[in-house]
Amino acid sequence: MSRFFERYEAETSRFFDEVMATEGQARPHYDKLLERFRQFSFDDIKARREIINIFFRNQGITFTVYGVEEGIERIFPFDLIPRVVPASEWQKIEKGLIQRITALNEFLYDIYHTQKILKDKIIPTELILGSQHFAREFVGVNPPLGIYIHVTGSDIIRDKDGNYLVLEDNLRTPSGVSYMLQNRQAMKRAFPVVFEKYQVRPIENYPQELLRTLQEISPASRREPNVVVLTPGIYNSAYFEHSFLARQMGVELTEGKDLVVNNNKVYTRTTRGLERVDVIYRRVDDAFLDPLVFRPDSKLGVAGLINAYRKGNVALANAIGTGVADDKVIYSFVPAIIKYYLGEDPILENVPTWLASNPTDLKYILENLGSLVVKAANESGGYGMLVGPESTIEQQEKFAEMIVANPRNYIAQPTISLSRHPSFFNDNELVGCHIDLRPYVLNGKTVTIVPGGLTRVALKRGSLVVNSSQGGGSKDTWVVDE
Amino acid sequence: MLSRVAESLFWMSRYFERAENTARFLDVNFNLLLDLNKITPIENPNYWIALILVTSDRDRFAELYSEYTAHTVTDYLVFNKNNPNSITSCIGLARENARSIIESISSEMWEQVNNLYHYLQSVTPQFVHNDPSGFYKEIKNASHLFQGITDNTFSHNEGWDFIQIAKYLERTDNIARLIDVKYHMLLSEAQNQPEVVEGSEDLIQWMAVLKSCSALEAFRKVYLSKIDPDNILRFLILDRTFPRSINFSVCAAEDALWRISGSSRHRYVNNADRLIGKIEAELSYTAIEDIFSKGLHNYLEELEQRLVKVGEQVHLTYFAYHTPEIESPDVDEALPFTGIGGGRANWSQAQQHQQQQ
Repeated sequence: MSRFFERYEAETSRFFDEVMATEGQARPHYDKLLERFRQFSFDDIKARREIINIFFRNQGITFTVYGVEEGIERIFPFDLIPRVVPASEWQKIEKGLIQRITALNEFLYDIYHTQKILKDKIIPTELILGSQHFAREFVGVNPPLGIYIHVTGSDIIRDKDGNYLVLEDNLRTPSGVSYMLQNRQAMKRAFPVVFEKYQVRPIENYPQELLRTLQEISPASRREPNVVVLTPGIYNSAYFEHSFLARQMGVELTEGKDLVVNNNKVYTRTTRGLERVDVIYRRVDDAFLDPLVFRPDSKLGVAGLINAYRKGNVALANAIGTGVADDKVIYSFVPAIIKYYLGEDPILENVPTWLASNPTDLKYILENLGSLVVKAANESGGYGMLVGPESTIEQQEKFAEMIVANPRNYIAQPTISLSRHPSFFNDNELVGCHIDLRPYVLNGKTVTIVPGGLTRVALKRGSLVVNSSQGGGSKDTWVVDE
Repeated sequence: MLSRVAESLFWMSRYFERAENTARFLDVNFNLLLDLNKITPIENPNYWIALILVTSDRDRFAELYSEYTAHTVTDYLVFNKNNPNSITSCIGLARENARSIIESISSEMWEQVNNLYHYLQSVTPQFVHNDPSGFYKEIKNASHLFQGITDNTFSHNEGWDFIQIAKYLERTDNIARLIDVKYHMLLSEAQNQPEVVEGSEDLIQWMAVLKSCSALEAFRKVYLSKIDPDNILRFLILDRTFPRSINFSVCAAEDALWRISGSSRHRYVNNADRLIGKIEAELSYTAIEDIFSKGLHNYLEELEQRLVKVGEQVHLTYFAYHTPEIESPDVDEALPFTGIGGGRANWSQAQQHQQQQ
């Protein structure tokens, strides 16, 4: 056991620890990793930490935290110990995600066409039509290849028994994939020797796969499709990622003001005039995409874009109105959605969920606020959330009021003790930190998942919230062949 | 190339060059005061006022400080965030522009802008005061390194040409201002003593002008020991081979503009090309006596105004591109050209803060 691990308290009786099967006994797929780390001194770790900090800072890999006056740009905290996922476990995750994305895509197609699932009363109609993400303007519109969700970043957690569960489907503009790619680069830079003993599956082809997916949905068969990335701008917290992906794919990064619509066709403004655009990988929310259709005060969008899209002159990834399917209320119906469209049982389970809109559930939620996690249905990034066991009575009372006032907007889940992974604190102590996993699913003519994903770490001691906006960090994730 | 990308390349380059020039002015002023130490008390405000005149914002300075001293002027020109032309502001703006096109520039270029930015964040006024030359040298070297990195890691195509245009327009403007202010000062001081005497205070000041353009050694190679104001002006305005002369810089800006548009000596394509071509042609056939007969100050002031016009035409031709039948003029574009940070940076900042999934 390495010196770091000698003093590590896995608390395996309370948590599922990714590395330690029991106190003092590591899981077999971590053996070789621990063997390597045993050879490092504290000074080695510090020196490598320095290499990684310089790497991230020089690359400009920073994350913007909203609502904080000082230090708007921070280095995204990175934990040095990689997470290892054995191929057998990965295979199940991969299958489960493909099943889930396929079903959710069919669901969206149905919702925006015949609405069979509503007529068959599998899901209450008012939940769909009342969702703020349901885009009634798109009923009957056919996106290229019938695909609505081209890029997904589903959040997967492990419960106390190590079962992989889906916590959230992010079907709108999931972020973080650039950190997945950069984390691998950083690890290779700082710990080349650690890679020697493992067959780590590569992830570096993600940008090419993304570009291929985007090219596949191009509506114009006329030539090499012109793909652009659309960003809200440099003040967006994920701006680094937008520019990173554009650079990696070799396409233009555009802001709304770079695009112009004429005669229902979309163009970029260039120093030599207008150039036609076929596919937009947009990282701007629906509401800001087109001031003529959605928010009229939007400065980030392109006037006329939606009409061009409806006419089939440009493709958008993801399509508009996909948020209706990653709503936290609809989430609770995903197992039923899989069953309904595919006739299969879900390979990856959901976390049990109570809906405040259901009177029996509501009663249960209000009586158990201290032990549940309550989430606003439409918020993301860890905002608008109550973690019962960590909350004060006042916070619980405030949430109770909000829930009663607007039950459709809230769900509750048991406080799952996410699995833990040893992570460095101050580079001299290993502490068990809660983690999740966000694999990135690409959906074009075929479904592609690069092996692994972004493992997010709750680096605040004892915290369960892994979101980068709430002090979370990340670590490299290895899918290894045994 | 996207118009916005071209515009950001332009302003990134222009702000970087501006920071370097400010560092040069300050550095030379410190050296000058050391040279003149025996004659002039070190805090003689005239030398510091001159620096504020070069950047031509005396009013703004007067609002913030009550006196012209090494401390106040250094603070204003190096650190003050309310001064858009301070070194810190310029590098901050250069970095903002670079950040907005980070996918278009080479990662080495980004690292260099970013490094300098972080270096400036760590520098204190006390540090600059203790070792002004060391600090300004750091800034000048960082700028040279950036230019070298750009030349060696960034394709020499349209984007590179926009960087060159910005760099040389800014440089021309700075040389013109520097000469104008120094000449004005020396003239008023030398009312009673029209002859420049070898070893006199005036001569030391003229040498300082050359030094701030890194031009002293190059000048000596051409004019040997004959350091007199006419030769100095001839060199700084009309020399065609020295990279910090007006003529050289105008030629370089012209070359870059013509490469972009395909203009040639006998046929211009747009107004930017026409205006820069006219300046260049006049410089080619101008003798220093012509400038004196017009009056140096008038000549330089007119040159500065013409350079502003060139900048405006570059903006209209390449950055503000729109076809009139497609869209109504946008309020944002009606603003004078400023690049990021100069006035339109924050207009949509709040909306860009979308929650991340």
